[in-house]
Amino acid sequence: MRIGLACPYTWDVPGGVQVHVRDLAEALLAAGHEVSVITPVDDEQTLPSYAVDAGRALPLPYNGSVARLLMGPVSAARVRRWLREHDFDVLHVHEPSAPSVSLLACMFADGPIVATFHTANPRSRFLTAAQGALQPSFEKLRARIAVSEAARRTLVEHLGADAILIPNGVAVQHFADARPLPGYDDGRPTVAFLGRIDEPRKGLDVLLAAMPALAARIDGARLLVAGPGDAAAVRARLEPELRSRVDLLGLVSDADKPRVFASGQVYCAPNTGQESFGIVLLEAMAAGTAVVASDIDAFRRVLDDGRAGRLFDVGDPAQLAATLAAVLTDPAGAAGLVRRGREVVETYDWRAIAERIVGVYEMVSGDRRVSLAST
Amino acid sequence: MTVLVVVVALVVAIATYLTWLARRLDRLAARVSDAGGGLVTQLVARADAAAQLAERCGLDELAASAARARASYPALLAGAPLDAAVELAENVLSRALRSAQVAAAGQRFPVELHAVDSGAARVALARQFHNDAVRDQRALAGRRVVRVFHLSGRRPPPGYFEIDDALPIREEPWPRLVEGSAYGADTGVREDRPGRDGPLGHDDRPGLAS
Repeated sequence: MRIGLACPYTWDVPGGVQVHVRDLAEALLAAGHEVSVITPVDDEQTLPSYAVDAGRALPLPYNGSVARLLMGPVSAARVRRWLREHDFDVLHVHEPSAPSVSLLACMFADGPIVATFHTANPRSRFLTAAQGALQPSFEKLRARIAVSEAARRTLVEHLGADAILIPNGVAVQHFADARPLPGYDDGRPTVAFLGRIDEPRKGLDVLLAAMPALAARIDGARLLVAGPGDAAAVRARLEPELRSRVDLLGLVSDADKPRVFASGQVYCAPNTGQESFGIVLLEAMAAGTAVVASDIDAFRRVLDDGRAGRLFDVGDPAQLAATLAAVLTDPAGAAGLVRRGREVVETYDWRAIAERIVGVYEMVSGDRRVSLAST
Repeated sequence: MTVLVVVVALVVAIATYLTWLARRLDRLAARVSDAGGGLVTQLVARADAAAQLAERCGLDELAASAARARASYPALLAGAPLDAAVELAENVLSRALRSAQVAAAGQRFPVELHAVDSGAARVALARQFHNDAVRDQRALAGRRVVRVFHLSGRRPPPGYFEIDDALPIREEPWPRLVEGSAYGADTGVREDRPGRDGPLGHDDRPGLAS
C-alpha cells in the first residue's frame, strides 16, 4: 500500500509521538509498503529518506508540557503539495487535535483517513474548547486508533467518538541484543532509571528516597540514572553517603538506551501518575531486565497484573525499597518476571503492531484513494 | 453604496458557508456509503468462514444460520440497504457462533475457528466505523441551518446498523491486550462501554459511550 504518515511534532526533538511514527514507518517499509512521512523539523539533515520537511515549528505550552506546533501558510502549502504528489491509498495522521501538520493534512485531504490519538488527558480544556472547530476535520476520519485505554477514554469524553485500542510497539530486537554499559558488567546489584530527572511525575524523587533503605538491605546496591535534566541540582539534594551509589549519566543517545536497561538487574519506573502507556517498561522487558513499577493503571496493564513485573504503591519509598530488595535477592523470581516479560513484549513487537494497523488501513481503504479536498 | 457592499458581502459569506456545509454533507454521505460497503464485505467474510467451519464439523445449526445470512448478500452487494431483516439474520449467526458446539468443534479445527473469530472481530470493527460515520452525518444533517436550506437534498438519513456482535470468549494464554484474533484488543474494553449492551435504538449514539 501507499501510506502517508503525518507527524505533528518536531522530528529531531525527542518525544513519544515522533518515535512512534518513525518505528511505524520503518515497520511498514520492512513489510514492503511505500511510506512517506511529513513532519516539522529543525535540522533537515536529520530526516530519513522517507520523510518530508513541513517547516519549523513554534514552541507553545500544550497539555502541561511544551509542544512545538506548526500552522502557517508555508507548511499548509507543503502539506498540500505532499498530498498532491503522493497518490496515497491511506493517510494516517497522528495526534490530529494538536494544531500542526496532522490537522492540516486532515483539513486538506479527502478519502481514507485514519487517525491515532496518543494523549491521555482527562480534563483537556483545549480539546473541549476546540471541539467545534475540529469537527469538520474529524468527521473525515474513517477509523480512530488510541494507543492506550486512557487515550481512548480521553477521546470518548471530549469528542464523543470511540477508538480501536492498538498499543505502541517496541522494536524488540533492538533491545534484546543490548550489552551493559562499560563499568556495569561486574554483576554489582544495579537499579536502572530512565527519564527526565527534574520532572516530578517521572518519580525520580521517590526512587532516591528509597535508596537509603535499599542500601541498608543490600550491600553495594547502586542506582544508574539516565535522562536529561539538571544533574547538579539532583546531586546537591542527595545525602552524602548516597552520592557514591547514584550515577547520573545525563541524556543518553538512542543507541545507548538499550544498554542502560541491560546495565541493571532491575529497571524501576516510579512514575507518580499521568502516564498513558508504559512503553519504557516494554523496552526494559525486551532488554531482559526485571521491572519494578508504580501501581498505576497503564503500568498494571502492561505488566500483566504484576506477573511480568512487580508493582508498588505510587509514591511509597519504603514499599519501593522492599520490592527492589526482594527482586535483587531472588534471582529465580527475577528470572520468572523476565521470562513473562519477554512473552508479553512479543505481542508489542512493531512487526505485530504494524500488521494490526495495516488491517485497519485495509478495512477503510476500499477503492477510494486519498485526494485533495475541494474546500 | 456602503449598504450595498455590506449586503453583497453578507450574501457571499452566507452562500460560501452553505456551499461548505453542502460539501461536508456530500463527503459524509460518501464516507457512510464506503463504510456500509466495508461492513458488507466483512459480513460476507464472516458468514463464509462460518459456513466453512460448519461444513468441516457438521454443525447443522451454524450451517443454517450462515445460509440464512448469506441469502441476503447478493442484494446487499448490489446496494440494498442494511435493514432490520439483515440485522436479524446476522444476530442469529452471531449467537450460533458463540454456541458451545462451535467452541468444542474449534478444538479440533483451530484454523477454521480462528478464521471465524477474526471475521467476527472485523465485523465488530466495520460496524463501529459504519455507525461512527452515520452518527457524524446525522449530527450535521440534524443542524437547523441544514434542514432550513434543505442542504441534505432528498437523501434519507442513514440508519445505524445494530447487531449483537460480542465476540466469543475463548481460552487464551494472553487475553488482556492482544488476543489471537487480529482485533482482539477490542474485547478488552467492552465492559466499560455503556450503551453497548443496552436496549438498541434508544440511544442516539448506539454502541458508543456517551
